[in-house]
Amino acid sequence: MEQQQQQQLRNLRDFLLVYNRMTELCFQRCVPSLHHRALDAEEEACLHSCAGKLIHSNHRLMAAYVQLMPALVQRRIADYEAAAAVPAVAAQQPGTSPPGS
Amino acid sequence: MKPLRAQQLAAELEVEMMAHMHNRMTIAYHRKCVPPLYKEAEMSKGKSVCLDWCLSKHLDIHKWIGKKLTELSV
Repeated sequence: MEQQQQQQLRNLRDFLLVYNRMTELCFQRCVPSLHHRALDAEEEACLHSCAGKLIHSNHRLMAAYVQLMPALVQRRIADYEAAAAVPAVAAQQPGTSPPGS
Repeated sequence: MKPLRAQQLAAELEVEMMAHMHNRMTIAYHRKCVPPLYKEAEMSKGKSVCLDWCLSKHLDIHKWIGKKLTELSV
């Protein structure tokens, strides 16, 4: 239960960070000059496109990630187990010459 | 989770996000509004006004994108 809440909190934090970065990116790209205090029509249209594209690309990437993640995790677990098995096998073989001789 | 604890966590998160935004924005606005001709330490009125407008527009964008995100996720 506690773990689930921690996970939710982490998700919320990630979402808010992405939100901040999106705002920053669209601000950088759509507001080239500061001649007026308010957002004009051109800037609003640019923001509309910027936000829409970012959200769609985020959704697409999340879908791809969710698809690929299980396979990646499996492979990493297999690599880790293989790496852990090698020193165990080496330790069981006392016939190899010691390094000091 | 108790609602008070949830509120506290939400408030902490918001403060963290504000600090994150502030740190990045200081540099970004400086790049936008202050050309790199550092003849003196004082800032002219024009540059100060530019920084104010930067922040104002940035917060407008922040609100706008928030609205857009809630619209698209519903």
